[in-house]
This record gives sequence, C-alpha cells and structure tokens, in this order.
Amino acid sequence: MKKHLLALAVLLAALGMVIPAQAADKTLNVFIWSEYLPDEVVADFTRETGIKVKLTTYESNETMYAKIKMLGGKGYDIVVPSAEYVSRMAAEDLLAPIDKGRLPNLTNLDDTFRNLSYDPDNGHSVPYMWGTTGIAVNTDLVPEGQITGYADLWNPALAGRLLLPDDMRTTLGMALKVLGYSTNDTDPAHIEQAYLRAKSLYPAVKVFDSDSPKQALLNREVTVAVLWSGEAYVANDENDKIVYVFPKEGVNRWVDNLCIPKNAANAESAHAFINYLLRPEVAAKISQEMGYATPNKAAMPLLPAEIRDNPIIYPPADRLTGSEFETDLGSAQRIYEQYWSRLKTGR
Amino acid sequence: MKDRSLFKALAVTLTVGWLAVFVIVPNLLTLATGFLTRGEPEFVLPVLTFDNYARLFDPAFFDIFLDSVWLALCTTVLCLLVGYPFAYILARLTPARRRLGLLFVIIPFWTNSLIRTYALIAILNVNGLFNAALLWLGIVSEPVELLYTNTAVFIGFTYTLLPFMILPLYASIEKLDHRLIEAARDLGAGSFQTFFRVGLPLTLPGIIAGSMLVFLPALSMFYVPDILGGAKSLLVGNFIRNQFLVARDWPFGAAASVLLTVVMGLLLYVYWLCHKRVRRAEPA
Repeated sequence: MKKHLLALAVLLAALGMVIPAQAADKTLNVFIWSEYLPDEVVADFTRETGIKVKLTTYESNETMYAKIKMLGGKGYDIVVPSAEYVSRMAAEDLLAPIDKGRLPNLTNLDDTFRNLSYDPDNGHSVPYMWGTTGIAVNTDLVPEGQITGYADLWNPALAGRLLLPDDMRTTLGMALKVLGYSTNDTDPAHIEQAYLRAKSLYPAVKVFDSDSPKQALLNREVTVAVLWSGEAYVANDENDKIVYVFPKEGVNRWVDNLCIPKNAANAESAHAFINYLLRPEVAAKISQEMGYATPNKAAMPLLPAEIRDNPIIYPPADRLTGSEFETDLGSAQRIYEQYWSRLKTGR
Repeated sequence: MKDRSLFKALAVTLTVGWLAVFVIVPNLLTLATGFLTRGEPEFVLPVLTFDNYARLFDPAFFDIFLDSVWLALCTTVLCLLVGYPFAYILARLTPARRRLGLLFVIIPFWTNSLIRTYALIAILNVNGLFNAALLWLGIVSEPVELLYTNTAVFIGFTYTLLPFMILPLYASIEKLDHRLIEAARDLGAGSFQTFFRVGLPLTLPGIIAGSMLVFLPALSMFYVPDILGGAKSLLVGNFIRNQFLVARDWPFGAAASVLLTVVMGLLLYVYWLCHKRVRRAEPA
C-alpha cells in the first residue's frame, strides 16, 4: 500500500510539473468558421505582437455553440458566432463583455453595423464580416435564367446535381421562403410544412457541404449549389460561368461577429487580436481574400475596385430588397432542431 | 531489488490509473447519461428515464444501425478477399523483399487518415486521377461518377482499413508450418483441398483478428461517409456525433454510443471464444 502511495506521489509530482507549463502558455485560441481568416493575417499578427495563434475551425453555429457550452466558456479566446447566436450566447452568459477601451479601432466600423438589435451597444460582439446566402449556378450546364429562386431547385432536371449546405437555418429557411414565410418564422405548423418541403428535395441532393462547397461546383460534380456569397465569389473568380443568383423569394443576410467566451484564458490578447482585425488595411485584406463583405467603413476605400463593385460580395441595394437577417428563434429553436434532426436521419 | 518493486508499483499504478481515468470513468459517465433526460440550456437534467435506451429500438435508428453493420461487413469481406492473397504473397517473398513490402503497407500510417481521405477526393472526382486514367486507357468515354456515392464510401473504408487486415493475416501466414502443406500435398491433396483443409484453418486466428480490426472501426468512422459520401448516408458514428454536436441530445447520443460499445464487446467475446477453440484444436 505504501509503495502504491509513493508511486502515486511520483505520478502527481510529474503531473504537477506539466500543468504550470501549460498555464504559462500564452497562445491565443481562435475558434472560427472554416475558410474565414487568411493565414497571412494570422502570421502578420504573430510577427507584430509575438502572440501565437492557434486556429480551430467549425462548419456550423450549432457545433461551435455545443463546444463552448460544454466547456463553460473556457478553452477558446475568440469565437465567431452569427448574429442570432450572439444574442443566445449572451443571454446564457457565455460571452465576456467587450472592453471598448482596448479597441481604439472600433471607430472604423460603419455606423449601420453598430448597436444592432442582437447585441445592443456592442456589449459582447464586434461585427467581423457579413454576406448573403444564395444560389450558385454553372451556366455551362444549366441554361442561364432557368434558376431565379429557391423554388427552381425542385426542378426534376436538377436531381443528383444539387449541393446544399449542411446547415439547419439555411435548409429550413430556404424551404420557409419557398412557402412564402419568413426565414425566422416560429409558427410550429409553418416549420413542419418547411420540413416536409425540404425533405422532398433531399433525394435530389448529391452533396451536403458547408465547409468548401465551391470545390464540388468547380469540379463539375454539381451544377447548382446553395452557398454563402464568399464561396460563390471564389468559384466565380476561378470560373466565370459560375454565376450567383439572388433568390427571388428574398435573400438571407447574416453577420458573423468576433466574441470572447466568458472564461477565456487570454482576454487581453483576444482584445488585441480584435483590434488588429479592425485595422482598415487588415479588414480590407480579409474581405478581398475571403470574398465576404467587411462592415469596416475605413477599409472600403482600400479595396480594389473589382472587389468593392463586385455584386456578389457587395450587392447593390436593389438586390437586397426583401432580404432578411436571421434572428434568434427563442423557444422555436428546439422545434427547428427536432425537424433538422429528422431531416438528417431521413425520417 | 527495492528499485524494481517500486518500478513495478509505478507501472501498475500508472496502468490502473490510466484505465480508470480514461476508460472506466468516461464509459460509466456515458452509461449513466443514457438514463438521464435532455435539458435546455443545460445538456442533461438529473431525471431518471429509460426513454433513451427505448428509443434505440425506433425503426429509424435501427435502419441506420443495420446500414452501418452492412457497410462494415462488406468492407470486411472485401478487405479479406484482397488482404489474404496479398499477405500470402508477402509471406512467401525473400526476407529483404518482405521487409520492403511490409514497409509499403505501413508507410500510409505516417499520414493522418483524415488527410488521406481528403486526398481520395482528388483521385475519385470527375476530373480526378482515376477518371483520367480510365479515359486515357479508353475504358470509358465519359467520366464515371464515383465521388459522393456509396461506392466512394466503400472505397474509402477499404483503403483506410486494408492494412489492419493484412498485418494480422501476414503474421499468421508467416508462422504457418510449411511442412504441413507439403505433407498434405504428399498425401494427395490438390491445391484447393490443401488450402481449404490445411492452410485456411491454420490461419483462422489471423482471419478473425483482421476481420475484427476492420469491422469495428468501420462501424464508427464518421468522417469517411461525410467527406466521400457527401454526408448523405448516415451511419451510427455520424448519428452519435450529430446527437452531441448538432441536436445536443446528449442522453440519446450516450445511449446510442453504449449500444455500439456493447455490440463491439459482444464481437470481441465471440473472437475470444473462437480463438480459444482454435487454440484447443491445435496439437499441443
């Protein structure tokens, strides 16, 4: 028994040496959507500040939320939830307050992206990028003009040629739009109709991918894809036969935001990183590289004209008529999740 | 002498401690979570229920489970059909060539299997290497659509798991006493009979071990159907992952994962029984 105690003591001592070494580690843990932050920007930040950055990616708000929730707001220093998840996570006390005193570059933000309804006075979030969800069509394989809205995806000629994102809000939101409802509808009867409508499209889908849907389009594995504007921009940049269609039912807009989880280990470095990303030249570089729109007003003049005037990234106002922002669903979230789970299990 | 017993105590404590912390406790937690109720915004509520385990008998989940078992079974059979001749030839090579052959089997392990699965996209897609080769050889005139089909998932599984079949088979074929084969031949058995009545039974332990090593991971490798199958076909592995990360129904996810553990445990028990029988049948 004594021997075992001694052995245990040796092990604990060894562990004791490992733990402080961990705590002293000043790496900034960034948890962000895949294909959303250029490596170059991260490298520049590390070169300038000496703060190392560890990048982990996710492909849906649900996954990010589940991990942050499970870890009790620890483990990561930066997360990038979409608007509706900012309000949800703030309400569940998972986000640390933003210390504006440490973000002098906050003044670069466009006024229209400040003090938004999902986070009054930017108490917990700083807008990072925004974009739209629309339809990309390879006009080499599908005649131009055949697809003008979500309803056209149910065309039997497209069966087996379709890509949808592996994303709850997009899939059910799309079906709600086809039925003439809001993408934020909370009426259980409407959600069920949307579920049935989405389900009827499922056999026609060839791939579900929200990581990098442009790949399947560029490889011609699929001819039509529902995707984020940035993915469409990159695909269009590589092959101009791939065009982006703003669905006539009304396009979905979203804003992703830089947030600091409640119990982040390096809140100070996290602020330094957010402030760095708010620099006009950095924001411009990110927008240019990733193909999403920046809410940074000071960055706009720095963007090359072909980016600033690109209708996929910065759509003209008339394309955005009838557009909607996704908002927090409140208690209807659970109903969405139940139907989403059934869609995914094919029930 | 004293040092040695301290070392022994250290080794035992480390092993037992490791198993307790990383195997027993997590599995008990999973088992217990399966009896609790889903909660919001917390993940689990301490309300006892048998619902989650009962829901495993729901036809929808059962279908997913059967699909997974079927796919894993097909993968195992294909790996066996490819792996057996491969291991046989390997065991008959000269020692130098054998070492080289084994090296080639092992080299892919140096790269993470997730990365190798992504690499398969580049090979299987419409403009990929495989189609380019078929077109160049004139076997097909139009590219074959492989990626995002069940065939691609099947190829991915077989490719990833084949070494797990080859290595145990190789070990048991190499140990095979060649004199027994010669004796069978001398006594008038044809190649067919020699193989099925002498070679095959003697390498049975390798076949069973290899099949286990292929079948069990094939039940739970969720990223292969996600990446190569276009995330369409849902297998038990994906299902459990979705319950935890997307639906946040931890108790149901836990129940499904307990079921998978139990099935694997039963298979290992069958393996142990077979092994014991084979050992007993061998001459002492």
